[in-house]
Amino acid sequence: MSVGRVAVTRGVLLRLREQIEFIKRGKELLQMKRDNLAAETNRLLAKVGKRHEFDKRLMAAYDALKVAYMTLGYSQVQSEASTVGLLETRVRPRSVMGVLVPEVVAGKKPIIASITNASSYAAADKLSALIGELLEIAEAESRIESIAQELMMTNRKVNALERVLIPQTIELIRYIEGRLEEEALEEFFRAKRVKAVIRRVK
Amino acid sequence: MKPAAITYIVTRTHGLRTHLITPRDIQFLAKTKSLREVSDNLLKTEYGTEISKLPTKEVDASTLEGIFFKTLVDRYFLIAREAQGKMQELLNAYCTRFEVENIKRILRARHGNKISEEPSLIPLSREHTLVNFQALLNAKDVDEAVGLLRETVYRPLSEKLELYRQADVTMVLEAALDNIYFGRLWQLVQEVSDGAGLKDLIGGEIDLHNLLITFSLKARDLSANLIDEVLLSSSHRLPLRRLRALTKGRLEDAPNTLTTPPFSKLASAALTAVSGGSSMPLERIILKQLYEEASTALRTRFLEAGYVIAYLLLCECEARNLLTIATGKQLAVSEEQISQNLLGI
Repeated sequence: MSVGRVAVTRGVLLRLREQIEFIKRGKELLQMKRDNLAAETNRLLAKVGKRHEFDKRLMAAYDALKVAYMTLGYSQVQSEASTVGLLETRVRPRSVMGVLVPEVVAGKKPIIASITNASSYAAADKLSALIGELLEIAEAESRIESIAQELMMTNRKVNALERVLIPQTIELIRYIEGRLEEEALEEFFRAKRVKAVIRRVK
Repeated sequence: MKPAAITYIVTRTHGLRTHLITPRDIQFLAKTKSLREVSDNLLKTEYGTEISKLPTKEVDASTLEGIFFKTLVDRYFLIAREAQGKMQELLNAYCTRFEVENIKRILRARHGNKISEEPSLIPLSREHTLVNFQALLNAKDVDEAVGLLRETVYRPLSEKLELYRQADVTMVLEAALDNIYFGRLWQLVQEVSDGAGLKDLIGGEIDLHNLLITFSLKARDLSANLIDEVLLSSSHRLPLRRLRALTKGRLEDAPNTLTTPPFSKLASAALTAVSGGSSMPLERIILKQLYEEASTALRTRFLEAGYVIAYLLLCECEARNLLTIATGKQLAVSEEQISQNLLGI
């Protein structure tokens, strides 16, 4: 907002004052959104923090699967796995402060009871025990990704309002107020001079 | 005096035995650096003909697995073709284990109802099976597949359909298939002259199969009734009443329940495996025992009919070992772990 191009009128001043109030309210809302998003991120980070320990358990389950593959071969393990039903999951969008994040709803868990072989069953048992947690971590990571993007954008907006728009508008208001004061003073002085001239002529 | 047909097949088997990869070579293969090196080394063996047909880029554990099984099937049917009389009948029945395995795979696939994923079957040519696998593959569910088997030796499978529907597990049908297979084999063993060694090996396999089923299902806390249902009805040295006592009791008591050797020792090892205290899976422990018995038979029964079955078991052991090595190399499993999982070494 360039100072030089603005018409110095009371109307503009009033409009700018309304505008600055609006911007400040907007900034407060954005700050609130930023704080909530940051709180949500912190909450999710605690979940993602378990990832390291989860990875270890997942690797142990994969080791069991490797043993099953080595013992029975790919075709046999694939055959045993074909008795296991599919994992039912539903991904639905959820809004967190206007940010659409995925929410994973796990449905029926796959039944592994039909697996006869001990190695395949051990691997399937270990892997299926991790499915719930795996979905939770995947959901948390995906949410963090969306929220972090929005958090960054919101932060930029708050910074732009705080450091650029609000100071500029305040400066403009001050300028217009100054100019209007000067004009009023000039007008007052002119009126006094006119009065003095009229008195002298009389 | 032994019948000439048995002497001939035993002598023929002695010749074929020399084609087996030696334990030293198996260990050497386990120490190779990559799957490529494994396949290159196998070019000098019986597997070489099939492996050499593969484009270099297509060499992976899954393709090699197909070749190992194809060679195994060929070895089995070659022996069965060379035999005569009751021995041939027995060997033909012995070879149906591949057919049984394929039926199991199809039933599992139909149970899972994943139409898009066709099960990978053991390569069996039409002359080696009476079952129309294509028709079974086209069946829309287990009921239809079992219905298609009604006109074959697998007819008793349909009697188990009700139990399958109740339990909703294919192991009921798989057990029925094993029962048909081993039942027929056990019956034929009694008819073959010079069958003492055969009885020990086939009976031993039946006992070990029952032991494996009992331990693996008991460890999963399945009901004693269901475990009893999936046990084979025949047994050799391990009486079924002992196994039934085990299914009703606690698994920890297994070494006391199974007192006769080698089952008491096996029970202790299996107990450690199911409790996660052993690096070797349960099947490996049981299979190791089976192949050790076969190796012993190969040394001690070299003029008996049991020698043939021992050779076939060792062919299977070789295929399993190669499978372990190839899969282990592909999955970047350490050399030590691969060696631990090798059988009969």
